Amino acid sequence: MIQMFIESLKNLVSKPETIKYPFAPSPEPKGYRGTILYNEELCIFCDKCENICPPGAIKFEVVDIESGKKQYNYNPYLCIYCGACVDVCPKADEGCLIQAETRTPVLGESIVKDKRLGYFINEIDNPKLVEKKWRELEIRAAKSREDLVAYKKAKRAAKKAAKAKVSE
Amino acid sequence: MGNRIVVPFGSQHVALPEPVSFLFETQNEVITDVQVNIGYVHRGIEKAAMTKFEFTQLPYLVARVCGLCSITHAGAYTHGIEKLLGIETNKKIDYLRMLVVELDRIHSHMLANGHVAEVVGYENLFMQTFRYREDVMDILERITGNRVQYDYQVIGGVARDFDKEIEEFARKKLLKLKANTEKLMEFFENDYTFGLKTKGVGTISKEMAAKFNTAGPIARASGLETDARAEYDYLPFEEVGYKLQTRTEGDVWARNMVRFDEIMNSIEMCLNILDGIPEGEHRVKVKGRPDGEVFIRVEAPRGECFYYLKGNKTKVLDRVRIRVPTYANIPVLKELFVGEKYSDAQAIVLSFDPCMSCTAR
Repeated sequence: MIQMFIESLKNLVSKPETIKYPFAPSPEPKGYRGTILYNEELCIFCDKCENICPPGAIKFEVVDIESGKKQYNYNPYLCIYCGACVDVCPKADEGCLIQAETRTPVLGESIVKDKRLGYFINEIDNPKLVEKKWRELEIRAAKSREDLVAYKKAKRAAKKAAKAKVSE
Repeated sequence: MGNRIVVPFGSQHVALPEPVSFLFETQNEVITDVQVNIGYVHRGIEKAAMTKFEFTQLPYLVARVCGLCSITHAGAYTHGIEKLLGIETNKKIDYLRMLVVELDRIHSHMLANGHVAEVVGYENLFMQTFRYREDVMDILERITGNRVQYDYQVIGGVARDFDKEIEEFARKKLLKLKANTEKLMEFFENDYTFGLKTKGVGTISKEMAAKFNTAGPIARASGLETDARAEYDYLPFEEVGYKLQTRTEGDVWARNMVRFDEIMNSIEMCLNILDGIPEGEHRVKVKGRPDGEVFIRVEAPRGECFYYLKGNKTKVLDRVRIRVPTYANIPVLKELFVGEKYSDAQAIVLSFDPCMSCTAR
């Protein structure tokens, strides 16, 4: 009984265990798994990160079929921040793909602009259009891949034909 | 003889943390019949694992089967795939995996005990339990980088390395937690009013537990010695001081106390692991495609979790089958209700610590 009174008096003056989150900041803990940052200059376009990403939040789109140039697109609102892409990246040690300790802002209010986030998020101005634009991009990226394969096939066939002609 | 009344309990109810529905047929206050419906959170994860995802992506998918035991699911899957691929892990990986598995068990058991305290009317005890639970969450957050979805175990090792700084942080928090848990345990064990609501309520005898094939703390509270950690050799638990915990009463109180015993044992194990983490790499090389079939039994916080995997030398697996402990405990739950008072039903359900997102997948 006495112990109970001591305990309740202690509780009256002790500080709360919680933090007042929207009014006080809630800092990221050390070693937090946050946003994925990309460096185009170091990338060798091996597509390993695209292949392993479980939700498919990384998409490479072929922008120039003749040279086969690809663009990195990343959707931070689809990402599950598992870090699989960073694990699998062959150039991760040099800083091609790194996982920062920062959070992504809430969807629908504002949009972050950073060159290291890839092309997709930097091309959008209206935060409400993120989902729609990403769906369009997914279709576009898949189609551009098919086009590239078809182009390469045609090129190979033309080369073969030319070779056959020369040997004749 | 009073009128028969059907009382629905769930799928949404203030006392339930998970969507499960019970239809109690009651006579006066006593339950005479019960119907259970468990399929509210079916997401088709097994089917997705066999069609949409490659085997390298699956650790991240199966970790999302359940929020509380995501470590167990990912661990079971990686263990199975490593068996299929013939990968040998080193001692450091085993120890780090064991550390997170035991930390996961501690916070899951504390959540279950807190919920029982809440439904029997101890709101304050519930808050205290959850306050102490934060320490474990902090350790896990520091080790893995996230609070709920850990994604720590990957094929061929663990995702992050472990350093001295984390070790000191974890040790400090664990010692604090040990003292706090002892305080809580004393209250759960000796409090008179808490005992009135929990002692002798929902008793499962040893024969009944064996007949209905219960798993986990529910079976161990009835004196049944079953634990996949001791029966199936997947991580070296014996080396770090694992002991089987049993009680013989078999009621709600005994289930709580078995959980507390296991928390104390797990804290001991974690401290032992922190004392002697071996040197070595935290990743080994992975090569090849899975071929053949394998089954894995691991001890989830709620009981025995079973995985069956079948590969066919392609990137997508042929079959992924998950059987979770809550599913094994539903039949005895149904039997148990008959003859109990309706006012005790909440405490009985929560003492089983049901995880419906595991069950329905």
